[in-house]
Amino acid sequence: MAGFLEYVPGESLLHRMNPVAKLACALILSVACFCTGNLVFLLGVVVLDLALAASCSMTRQALGLARAVAAFSAVLALIALLTTPEGAVLAPLPWGYVGTGSVLAAVRIIVRLVACAVPLFLVMYVTQMNDLANALVKMAHVPYRYAFTFTSTVHFIPVFMNDMAGIMEAQTARGVEFDGSFAKRLRLMAPLCVPLLVSSVRKTNSAAIAAEVRGFNLRTAASGYKTYPMAARDWAALAACVLVLAAAIALSALGM
Amino acid sequence: MIEFRNVSASYDGELPVLRDVSLTIPDGDFVAFAGTNGAGKSTTMRLINGLLKPTSGEVLLDGVPTTALRTSEVARKVGFLFQNPDRQICQPTVREELLFGFTAVGEGGPDAEACVDAMIEAFGFDADAEPFLLNRGTRQLLALASIIVREPDVVVLDEPTTGLDYRECAKVMEAVGRLNAAGATVVMVCHDMEVVGDYARRVIAMTAGTVVDDGPTFKVLRRPETLRRAHLLPPQVTEVSMLLGADPALAGTAVARADTLDEMAAAVAALASEAARAAARERAALGACAPMGGE
Amino acid sequence: MIEFRDFSFRYREGDAPVVRDVTLTIPDGCFVGITGAAGSGKSTLTYAVNGIIPHCYPGDFYGAVTVEGMDTVETSLTDLSRAVGSVCQDIDSQMVSSIVEDEVLYGLENFGVPRDEVEARLADALELMGIADLRHRAIDSLSGGQKQKVAVASIIALRPRVLVLDEPTAELDPASSAAVFDLLATYAREHGTTVIVVEQKIALLAEHADMLVIVDGGRVRFAGAPGEVLEHSAELLELGVNCPRSTSLVNRLRASGLYAGPAARDVAEAAAACREVIA
Repeated sequence: MAGFLEYVPGESLLHRMNPVAKLACALILSVACFCTGNLVFLLGVVVLDLALAASCSMTRQALGLARAVAAFSAVLALIALLTTPEGAVLAPLPWGYVGTGSVLAAVRIIVRLVACAVPLFLVMYVTQMNDLANALVKMAHVPYRYAFTFTSTVHFIPVFMNDMAGIMEAQTARGVEFDGSFAKRLRLMAPLCVPLLVSSVRKTNSAAIAAEVRGFNLRTAASGYKTYPMAARDWAALAACVLVLAAAIALSALGM
Repeated sequence: MIEFRNVSASYDGELPVLRDVSLTIPDGDFVAFAGTNGAGKSTTMRLINGLLKPTSGEVLLDGVPTTALRTSEVARKVGFLFQNPDRQICQPTVREELLFGFTAVGEGGPDAEACVDAMIEAFGFDADAEPFLLNRGTRQLLALASIIVREPDVVVLDEPTTGLDYRECAKVMEAVGRLNAAGATVVMVCHDMEVVGDYARRVIAMTAGTVVDDGPTFKVLRRPETLRRAHLLPPQVTEVSMLLGADPALAGTAVARADTLDEMAAAVAALASEAARAAARERAALGACAPMGGE
Repeated sequence: MIEFRDFSFRYREGDAPVVRDVTLTIPDGCFVGITGAAGSGKSTLTYAVNGIIPHCYPGDFYGAVTVEGMDTVETSLTDLSRAVGSVCQDIDSQMVSSIVEDEVLYGLENFGVPRDEVEARLADALELMGIADLRHRAIDSLSGGQKQKVAVASIIALRPRVLVLDEPTAELDPASSAAVFDLLATYAREHGTTVIVVEQKIALLAEHADMLVIVDGGRVRFAGAPGEVLEHSAELLELGVNCPRSTSLVNRLRASGLYAGPAARDVAEAAAACREVIA
């Protein structure tokens, strides 16, 4: 099973799109979500996200992500709920009240974050990190050093997670029980960060050396062997996303 | 005693890595699992200490299925040495690392401290040294020491000698041998067939998640069919012995049975002196005959 | 040709030199196996060839190490890498890509191999390591032996004149270890590549190497054809280097005066020696 943010091979339209176009589309959609607070629009984007996920058989991952982002944004939503005294009073608070407007604000935060995060994560699932980095270097002229730092970081996430799983397994074998309260788990896991850190430092160091002896310093924007031409479908997707953005701007200009 | 009853196992519901394995390891045994990477050896080790539960069948420790035991209960019985000691070591000093074996299962106290001090003495560790500054071999030895300090009934070793040089390897294996002599059951996965030949009394050969052969070390390692199916090479002396034994003139002689350096050297020397004696007799016989047939 | 002249090295954070007074010549096309106990300085010797010292790990560098006339201190790491290909010990962190094909492409792209040559070199390297069928596979899904072959393929695609490998079989089972050595030896013979490999499994070196170098306490104690070096099995054992059992067996026969032939490198030679003694 593929891990968190790991590429899932496939042949769908999203898989075959130009990596940079994919990233640009995701970014445009995200920006659109922040241009308007219209709940119907935001929910529409969420539906679009899920449709896109379904088109590349990534519904399960997308739903998982949506849940995770919703849980994370719930904290922000709670703060908004308690600090935005708007609309009809529902419950008084010592410093104000919770009103219908507060509820709307809270819901808006959750839906907005879900709507804008899912496409970005989806890009990770349907794009090879290498292709994305190479295309960014070639087309968007991102300096290779930054692209490499980014790909290595993503590349190392599963390696470190695997390490951590191995370390926890070794400690479990010694009788440490990681079940129990969150606080207890945290207390048990804290000392394990030492072995993880030691192995991480060793790994990143040897990775840097290995890249250097394979000509890392010679690499330029022109080095990439594979080319990433923009096809008609890429332009079409970009145009569609720009339309969504325009709609968002129009909605906010109309004050809806 | 460890029992596998028709055990199958898989990770994350993928293809089974172990298929219908049944075996029994009595107390005090010294067993080596042999086979290529991916044959299911490490999975078998994980099943023994309950890190992995079977998808079907049962793994029993002294008659109790591992599914009915908490991991800490299994940990009291079974010590597990991982291939990479750095995943195990997590304490700031050697002494604390050794003590952690007890505190992890809630058995700290003066008795534990006494055991730890005895272990430091026996292995010649520097009690206050920082584990991560020790070299690989010493770290492996420390990881082993922190497992065996609690004197578990069973010790499971996953590739205990990988990355160690000859001296470090001998140190680790001698410690394991002493433990076994004191009554502990030892189960190991080991690619170094010389180590297997030197220490294990029984070999279980695996391939593609199944057991292909199980028996006394050199019986298993001398069966051509087993070697072929599990992609194994026997220890070198055994291989020499098999090559020599294939010669009809030598089949059935001591060289065809020798499995250790001493046995083989002695067997070759004995055959050589026998051959020399035979040659001398022949010469003597010829010498006796010569005058009659001569001029 | 690779030359070490009175080479010593002390890491900046270390107290004592890790390598001392090494003088050694490695002819072109030689398959060299370096072995020794842990901490003997064997890896440091190879770091001097591929330039990892002093370029990545600074310290006190005495004497000189030259690779095909290039002084490894004065030549930049990048220029040195054009001649010397290195396969590091930790292959998981060496990998920069998630797909086999991209991994092999990486070095080719960096070193500016002409576009029309890239495909042939890529296919060739995969073919030579026997992993052409893995070209589009995810590296994560490969076994240890397959990953090691990918690591080697990604280096030989660069056609280095010298190939340096640090314990390439540490994580592999015996069958894959033997396969990696067979492929390496065949490749080196056919391409005239000099190979320097640090290895703990001496039986593999005895079988494949043209030259065996035994390091102890930072010094080269023995260097020569495996047959000659392995005659000293008793001394090697003292240095923490265990000979193959076939070698030890034949050396016993030699010590007891039963056999006068050369030291055995593998099982077949040992069996032949035994037959000779018995007959």
